[in-house]
Amino acid sequence: MQKDKNIYRSIEAKVVAVISETPTIKTIRFIPREPITFKTGQFIELTIPGMGEAPFTPSSKPSVKDMMEVSVMKVGKVTEEIHKLKKGDIVGVRGPLGKGYPLDEFKDKEILVVGGGCGFAPLRSLMYEFFERSGQFKKIFFRGGCKTPRELVYRDETQEWAKRKDLDFKITVDKGDDKWKGHVGLVTAILDVDMDYKNGIAIVCGPPIMMKFATMKLLTMGFEEENIYLSMEKNMSCGIGKCGHCRIGIYYACKDGPVFTYGQIKNFPEIWD
Amino acid sequence: MYYITEGNFAVLLDGLKTEYDVYVPVKKDKQRFYKKYTEFSADIVIGEVRAFEPLKSFFSLARGIVARGFSPEIPKLCEKPLCIVGVKACDLKGFKIQDHVFNDHDCPDSAYRSLRQNNLIISSDCTLCIDTCFCLSIGLKPYPQEEFDINLSQVSGGFIVESGSNKGKDLIAKNSSLFENPKSHSITGKNEARAKVTKDVERNIQDSGVPYQESFENIIERNYESKIWEEEANTCVECGACNTICPTCHCFLLYDQKNEKNMARLRIWDSCMIKDFARVAGGANPRAKLWMRLRNRFDKKFDFFPKVAKTYACTGCGRCISACPAKIDIRKVLKRLVGDAKR
Repeated sequence: MQKDKNIYRSIEAKVVAVISETPTIKTIRFIPREPITFKTGQFIELTIPGMGEAPFTPSSKPSVKDMMEVSVMKVGKVTEEIHKLKKGDIVGVRGPLGKGYPLDEFKDKEILVVGGGCGFAPLRSLMYEFFERSGQFKKIFFRGGCKTPRELVYRDETQEWAKRKDLDFKITVDKGDDKWKGHVGLVTAILDVDMDYKNGIAIVCGPPIMMKFATMKLLTMGFEEENIYLSMEKNMSCGIGKCGHCRIGIYYACKDGPVFTYGQIKNFPEIWD
Repeated sequence: MYYITEGNFAVLLDGLKTEYDVYVPVKKDKQRFYKKYTEFSADIVIGEVRAFEPLKSFFSLARGIVARGFSPEIPKLCEKPLCIVGVKACDLKGFKIQDHVFNDHDCPDSAYRSLRQNNLIISSDCTLCIDTCFCLSIGLKPYPQEEFDINLSQVSGGFIVESGSNKGKDLIAKNSSLFENPKSHSITGKNEARAKVTKDVERNIQDSGVPYQESFENIIERNYESKIWEEEANTCVECGACNTICPTCHCFLLYDQKNEKNMARLRIWDSCMIKDFARVAGGANPRAKLWMRLRNRFDKKFDFFPKVAKTYACTGCGRCISACPAKIDIRKVLKRLVGDAKR
């Protein structure tokens, strides 16, 4: 018989660093009391003790089991409290929850990763995995977008990514500033890359509106519906398909996702809302 | 099949009291409510019709602590195992959904699981129907056919008893002196009572025009863009009574609270009719309008659950009909959905 496990319990974790990424996004690094193994794309519920939980996909390396990072945009009650965290504070972690990216299915394929704003966070974890398994994939393209240069996360790190030989990296901002020398415009304008779209994989993570338009563009480019992987942002609370909040058609975003192919969910209404 | 006199049944309950927290339906005014059993009293009604409150109130508690601090321990929801008496067929069907969510799932809720594993269900036949009953249209009978340990059919002077599980068989074996072989007139009595109440529900269904579940296939998909939702949601006041009173509705919210020393995570029943149910922190709300939430409620019951658990998440108990202050009637909605689907 299955060992009785308390599915609602959080593991205590200690905050060891708080990094300000942008005016609205902070990265919280913490060490859980018990190591947590996660697959890239899976998520956790981060707890401010006594305040509540909120779901985040770790932005750190899945291979590191005793330390985890999440990048959090200040948008609501819990995230506001998360932004007040300091080194040494205690938080709670519950997870990993959901299904990760099916990396093995991406082997020997060309992959186009499309990120927007805070959607860079889960994708950073994915990129780490790609880098660690470098050579297993035919070619990797990263196309990212954010509103302004100030709102670009992981600035130093992404500059290093741009230099990598195993990655074709390009980012754009909706609106540049005096210092910005890169591309200006929406991310959908820089998606044309040198790859075989029909057999390629596209991975999209960002705000719903960006995911919608990116998906539409990817479809016109020739990507198959089953090869477009989307990170669905829904109200995931219990994380185990019981509380009912994050239902998308016959799925729960928490249990069956949060990564879905467009083909899986395209017929369900309200997916972009 | 056995027979037990009312007097011996009281003895049986008295015996069960030591091992279980025993709950029995009692009648107060025109309603029946579960009450903790202390001694056999005149207000106990084993037959009649389902109680006011759904069975889930014993197993998934409206408000219960599910974790304390960072402790892996599973907080106990009650001291002794539960023995619920006089459970009706419609409420047993509620278990199908609740078990699917909390128990059979690949990630079981241990507190729920232990309550269910240790419980004793003494069900009983309905001996009357109220005007909101429509169990037959959902494929049930007004008498239990599964999911019970023992079932009681009220007959003159006592009950016909059938076991539905090994636990039920053991219970009868352990208390064999209380049971006797049924006389043929008792068995006839049981069959006649069942036939009569079935007819009464049939008449109910005819009066209300609620369709049978055989016609439910794709009713949501086919009516997705229908005006029905807006029209039916028109009077809704978003109170969530339909959800809390429903034996199949299972949605909850996790709520964290703390005092100086301790913190606890609570699981509290939630309602998908409430505006912020699916809203995300960023503000996006896939079901911002009330009619979308009404559609979602029916979608969950008549499209999601048949697809994932092979059963409609409705028991025909009619509780939501009586609970709704806006007089939204699930029978009428189903009738419209099936009617419109045929067009």
